[in-house]
Amino acid sequence: MKFFIPFRKKSPWILHYNAGSCNGCDIEILAALGPKFDLERFGVINTGNPKQSDIFLVTGPVTYRSRERLVERYSQIPEPKVVIAVGSCTTTGGVFRGMYNVEDGIDRYIPVDVYVPGCASTPQLIIDAIVKALDILEAKSKEIEKPFKLFGAIETIGNKLSRLNMAKKVELHEKN
Amino acid sequence: MIWVWIALAPILGGLVYGGERVLRARMQRRLGPPFLQPFYDMFKLLDKRTLIVHAPHALLAVAHFFALWFTVAAIFLGWNLLYIVFLHLIAQMLLILAGYSVRSAYSHLGANRELLMLVAYEPILILVAVGLYLVSGSFEITGMIQKGNYLAQLPLLFAALLMIVPIKVKKSPFDVGEAHQEIVGGVEIEYSGVFYEFLYMSRFLEYLFIYSFVFIFGGESVWLGAVLVAGVFLLVNLVDNATARVRTPQMIKIIYMAAMPLAVLNLVWILR
Amino acid sequence: MLLTLILLPIATAFLILYSSTRIQYLLSAAVLGVGSFLSVSLFMSTERVSFHLPFLLNAMIIAADLVLLIYFLVQGKKFNSPKVIVLAAAQLLLYIYAEYAAPSGRSAEIVVDELSRFMFLIINIVGGIIVLYSVRYMEDESVEPYKKRHFIAAMLLFLSVMNAIVCANSLLLFFFLFEMTTLASYQLIAFRNDEISRANALRALWMNQIGGVVILAGTLVAALVLDTVMLDTLLQHSGGMLLFSVALLSMAALVKGASIPFDGWLLGAMVAPTPVSAMLHSATMVKIAPYLILKLAPVLGTTLLGGVLSITGALVFVAAAYLALSRSIFKEILGYSTVALLGLMMALAAIGTKESMMLSMVLMLFHALSKALLFLAAGVLEKQYHLKSIEEMSALVHRAPKTVGFIVLGFVSLTLPPFGLFMGKLFAITSVASLLRERPLLLIVLVSMIIGSTLLVLLYFKVSSALLSNPSDTVRTEKERIPQGFSIPLVLLSLLILFAAAGFIVIQHDVLLALFTLPLLFVFALPSMIRSMEHYDRTAIYHCGEKESFDAALVYYEPSVRIKGMIYWGFGILFVAVAFVGVLS
Repeated sequence: MKFFIPFRKKSPWILHYNAGSCNGCDIEILAALGPKFDLERFGVINTGNPKQSDIFLVTGPVTYRSRERLVERYSQIPEPKVVIAVGSCTTTGGVFRGMYNVEDGIDRYIPVDVYVPGCASTPQLIIDAIVKALDILEAKSKEIEKPFKLFGAIETIGNKLSRLNMAKKVELHEKN
Repeated sequence: MIWVWIALAPILGGLVYGGERVLRARMQRRLGPPFLQPFYDMFKLLDKRTLIVHAPHALLAVAHFFALWFTVAAIFLGWNLLYIVFLHLIAQMLLILAGYSVRSAYSHLGANRELLMLVAYEPILILVAVGLYLVSGSFEITGMIQKGNYLAQLPLLFAALLMIVPIKVKKSPFDVGEAHQEIVGGVEIEYSGVFYEFLYMSRFLEYLFIYSFVFIFGGESVWLGAVLVAGVFLLVNLVDNATARVRTPQMIKIIYMAAMPLAVLNLVWILR
Repeated sequence: MLLTLILLPIATAFLILYSSTRIQYLLSAAVLGVGSFLSVSLFMSTERVSFHLPFLLNAMIIAADLVLLIYFLVQGKKFNSPKVIVLAAAQLLLYIYAEYAAPSGRSAEIVVDELSRFMFLIINIVGGIIVLYSVRYMEDESVEPYKKRHFIAAMLLFLSVMNAIVCANSLLLFFFLFEMTTLASYQLIAFRNDEISRANALRALWMNQIGGVVILAGTLVAALVLDTVMLDTLLQHSGGMLLFSVALLSMAALVKGASIPFDGWLLGAMVAPTPVSAMLHSATMVKIAPYLILKLAPVLGTTLLGGVLSITGALVFVAAAYLALSRSIFKEILGYSTVALLGLMMALAAIGTKESMMLSMVLMLFHALSKALLFLAAGVLEKQYHLKSIEEMSALVHRAPKTVGFIVLGFVSLTLPPFGLFMGKLFAITSVASLLRERPLLLIVLVSMIIGSTLLVLLYFKVSSALLSNPSDTVRTEKERIPQGFSIPLVLLSLLILFAAAGFIVIQHDVLLALFTLPLLFVFALPSMIRSMEHYDRTAIYHCGEKESFDAALVYYEPSVRIKGMIYWGFGILFVAVAFVGVLS
């Protein structure tokens, strides 16, 4: 309903995922949540649970083993959602770009809304990113964004859209 | 008039919860969220696309919320305290059944811990009801708040009740049911959107439920009751910020070795 | 009418021995129907019936009793069990002495009062349903056909023994029927004729024989000192040795009700076919224990003996509920919870006020219904799905939703409002709380009752955690089919539970109680709401993004060996203390 849309900005809950990062950006994210930079004054809670979050904070260049889990978590977040790629590894692969074991950033798998540079990023940049993401969140609709590059349509079972088994589709799709 | 209060019970609970988040933040020397934050959360959750695991799981959460609302309504109307404890038991069992009905390891672990928490606090709640009955002569709340003098005769029982308040409001050291770092939220894990909203509002109602027990100890003086509630509120948040979580067997040991003997001792002392 | 109740099952038993399966169904349905009708109409009438037994019948009973005791002796010799031999010999000697010392000119041997009428209801209705179930159960059992017919005939004979025992007034007749139930237990536990069954049957035999010995000792005291062997004249005495005699009789009740430390026989009895577990060891036979204490309750009242019995019963409630948390076989869990609830019933009966006696009877009725339902559902699981341990039962709701529904209904009816057992516990808490001022010792009973009922909630819902976990509702499964022979008794029992619960609430005339049902009305509206949620998206379980699904294991709480030892020794001491308290009074 139209009435609820402004409230998306007032209570963004984040889900933080480390897709193979060196933990530098993770430490900066946790510092942003701590008492000094205090993200909770914007109503941000770090839930560990995709089903209850709006903002997906990802760090790290995607390693081979974390791609399926990345996609599975992304699919379990209900719409409307934004994805923030924190750190230069997540945006372009960073210092590891072109290596055999990383996939050069998450936008090969899921649609990204905000890119945050830095190696590591700083809490100030992260807070800026979240504020920008909130504006984007307000403008989004509740339709399912088809994860554009990798998958076909999301399957339907009966008259229900089913997001089961997203992780298994990654490998299937790459085989084709 | 009382029906207005009953209808607004979740909103009252929301204000209490919002105030508590501000209080905790100030204790940690930071700003904290706005006072009305729980309501912003509520409206945001209503705006998400509905995503469920399966239908009975979602519906049991709704049932839990309404059963708990009914219990709080019963408290406001001043019915039999013992019945109220058991109405609350039905509400908790609905939540536990919801936790068990999906095939998720975290949900099962959370429901296991909720059951163990039930084993810890339910006997003490019933003993509190019996103790209040022995002093005031009636199980009805309307009868209980007409007599004074509970604190003088039941100090140890009040101490036992203080020990189980952290269990009910899910604060350290006894917040094993919703141990975020251990079991990622326990029973709440598979809920999203509207259905998580129902669980969120049940948290508010739990606050109202357990603080009413503290309020009854004030007896006929409303001011004493209010002072007790405020004092316990501050104390619980202070303890929450200062302690770590105990393990579940330790929690049961602590309650049965400390709170239960206190309660029984007090009852023996009254019956002399 | 009374004679019909006793003789009809015997007659049907003989008919069963020669009939085919179809006719077996008809006959057992007839027993159920006629038995229920007769017991309900007896319940409605209020006259107190009593009559003497003719001399010939008395002589036949004495002869039969001697034959029975000699049979036990022979069985002990045959299977090399010294305990059985010693106890049977002791019983023989004591019995002959008691018969010799019994005064003549007795009052009526058979007395039907309100308690007997109430027990008739339970025995005939629940027992009849179980017999009907056992016909179908025996079809799936792999033994020779004549043995199957013998089984059903034995169950029917047992029904008539139970009908007789609840109206026996003479202690010697009571002893004979008590030993007949022990015989029935022994034979039916050993039905499957393998090593474990035989060993467990012998254990049941000697433990119940202890009960027999104690009854005879009580009878001897009554005959020698108080000059009577009739219960009604016994209860009209007062002073000294009366309490000793009553103490010995209540020790027999503790043995029959499988209180700790005698719980071993009930647990071992779970290897028997499930109708045996349902009939003998939960719904009817073990109900003799609270029945006996209820009969003795007018004397127990405010005495120290009554206090000790209440405390023993209440502590058994807690201890058995706690010990059940470590078992993994479904029927053993049900057995332990039977022990616990029997302890509670005995504790309430020994308090002695009118209210607590009525509550004990109410608990008996509701427990019989719910436990029979649970055991029959366990039998369906055993025969249709070959499941005995709860470890194998995970996600059972996917394969067998109806059976799981019955099991969950059984569990809920044992612990939650608005069902009768919960209401009984609620009123028990209220009534014990109101008695606390005069009898502070009851505080132990109150605290044990509260802790025990919470432990039972933990136990039942821990078991149902395995049953209920359903991965998702997008996968279609084939429909479950329960054979009619199984489903009709289950449905009958469920309807009776609901009807009795509703009736109990209506009798209370308390609007607030009726409001307890409101939260559960939601459950009935569930199916229509489920249909309206068809179009929501479905998503997977969260497990940090993993592809495979993981299950949480079931949790068991095993007490350490030291604590178990303490529990058993403590209760053993309490058991002996009952006799001492009786002497000292």
